[in-house]
Amino acid sequence: MSGAELAQIAVNAVLLSGILALVALGFSLVWGIMNIVNLTHGAFIVMGAYLTYGMHELWHVDPFLSVPVSMAVLFCFGFAIQRVLINQVIRAPLLATFLLTFGLEILIVNLLNFFFKADTRSVMTLYSGSGFTVGSVRVPYIRLGALGVSILLVLMLGAFLTKSRLGRAIRGTGMDIDAARLTGVKAPAIYALTFGIGAALAGAAGSLLSMVVPFDPNLGGGYTERAFVICVIGGLGNVVNVLIGAAVYAVVEVFVGSRVPALSGAVTFGMLVLLLIARPQGIAGKSAS
Amino acid sequence: MRAFRIAFLLAVFATLLVLPRFVSSYKLLTYTTVLCLAIMAQGWNFIGGYTGYAAFGNVAYFGIGAYTTGLLMISKWHISFFPALAAGALLSACVATLLGVPILRLKGHYFAIATLGVAEAFREIAGAWDRVTEGATGIDLPLRSDSAFYYYTALGFVVFGVALTALLAKSKLGYGWVAIREDQDAAKMLGINTTMFKVAAYALSAVFASIAGSIIAYQNIHVAPNDFFKIEYTLQMIIACVIGGTGSVWGPLLGAAVYQLLSTFVWSHFIELHPTVLGGIIVFFVVFLPRGLMELLRRFAAVLKGGRFGSDVFLANIRASRLD
Repeated sequence: MSGAELAQIAVNAVLLSGILALVALGFSLVWGIMNIVNLTHGAFIVMGAYLTYGMHELWHVDPFLSVPVSMAVLFCFGFAIQRVLINQVIRAPLLATFLLTFGLEILIVNLLNFFFKADTRSVMTLYSGSGFTVGSVRVPYIRLGALGVSILLVLMLGAFLTKSRLGRAIRGTGMDIDAARLTGVKAPAIYALTFGIGAALAGAAGSLLSMVVPFDPNLGGGYTERAFVICVIGGLGNVVNVLIGAAVYAVVEVFVGSRVPALSGAVTFGMLVLLLIARPQGIAGKSAS
Repeated sequence: MRAFRIAFLLAVFATLLVLPRFVSSYKLLTYTTVLCLAIMAQGWNFIGGYTGYAAFGNVAYFGIGAYTTGLLMISKWHISFFPALAAGALLSACVATLLGVPILRLKGHYFAIATLGVAEAFREIAGAWDRVTEGATGIDLPLRSDSAFYYYTALGFVVFGVALTALLAKSKLGYGWVAIREDQDAAKMLGINTTMFKVAAYALSAVFASIAGSIIAYQNIHVAPNDFFKIEYTLQMIIACVIGGTGSVWGPLLGAAVYQLLSTFVWSHFIELHPTVLGGIIVFFVVFLPRGLMELLRRFAAVLKGGRFGSDVFLANIRASRLD
């Protein structure tokens, strides 16, 4: 492998890790605070992608400007789903929420397939495909922009969770729900808020992904898996863990993808299983169980 | 009541026995598929229902069974079907034991995803190991045009599964599983060798999945990675268990039948929205009837004995597990 090739792989990994961090951020939040592995996460991502696509096709909204809109829409959607459905079984054994979010994923993805068909779409703007080069390494503008938005959202969430009263209520509920309720926190409202934020972040990730990769309604499942792997690598607990997990995962995906593409899934999952067995709390995290 | 139940079961069994005489051989293939779903669901019931471990990768053993059977039958020794099926089941049990020891140390979500990962890894290995499995093309099995053979084989294993489940549910093993499901630490304190019990449940579920895989492989006469390692099979066995009632002897059987009825109905009426309706069914059962249709039957039985049906049947779960 030449030096130039290695440099390009490194740059690709950095650009990828930004979006992946955003993909995993909402997933990690919901898992860490509510102890729910939200298998609907991928469907939220796809919904974000279609919102951006729709706004771009109908009103020629710049895809970067549609990010806040899809975040707002998905926040409301996630809030409602938590309030109406998930909250009803949240204290049941774990299989319940696992199956429930899985059923919702099937339902949403199939409805998207029904309305939009399985055609592959992509959001093309005037600046799609253009970029700059440093030496022999190419950096597309869109991926750089997506990385910027991702970093911004990660920092905003980090600040919200640590600095604001509401954010601290969320973290407190995640640490000990009974103690939080004793201090006057309305746990169901906090849970709905958390799930809404998780969905909103998925929506943002979907909006960004719609510019970067071609998508169809079935795109989401793969990203739910990635989000899970990233959370396992980084561990739960705070946004820094997500960043570490995303960075490690991006390096592995880019590297394995360029060496043995046929077995990339087996390698990733093999790594995951080994990591789970050796260090269930992740490289950087505390135990979540 | 007891006599009525026995008479009913005998009638159902007799109907199943004479069924091949009255339906077309194409229809019979569908019925065999349902029976195989029941076999897989019975297997999943051991680990997912009784022991309470959400295994999401049992399709791995379905595929291993299918491939082992196929490869042995077309090998130069031309091994016949039943020994090949047994070899597949044995291999699945060994793989499940080897993987189960480390994986079953994981809890909750981690266990679920690790099993999912195992299944994905096996699918890719089957697709990439060209010299043995012919890669994505798959292998062809010898043809056997006797569809009643598959049906009776599957029916035999379903009956065996019911008998085994009923036997184990009242044994030390079965009680140990339930104890682990309810409180693993307490079970350990009582002197239950939790690792051994869990691995036994997992290996048993693998054997059943493997048997179903062998039968389906022989019936379809073609085994390819994407047909036999697809996650839909894992889902079907879980959904069948949830619809019927997890952790019960008859639940998986009832669930497989009802799932197939619903699925056929939905296919013929809303073909494009089939997964939507399926997703809706999952959501309905998880929220309103998590103990499955067996719970309804139990309540009907209580009414027949002069008890009350209970008006809270669909709301009991929500009352117990919602967060106010």
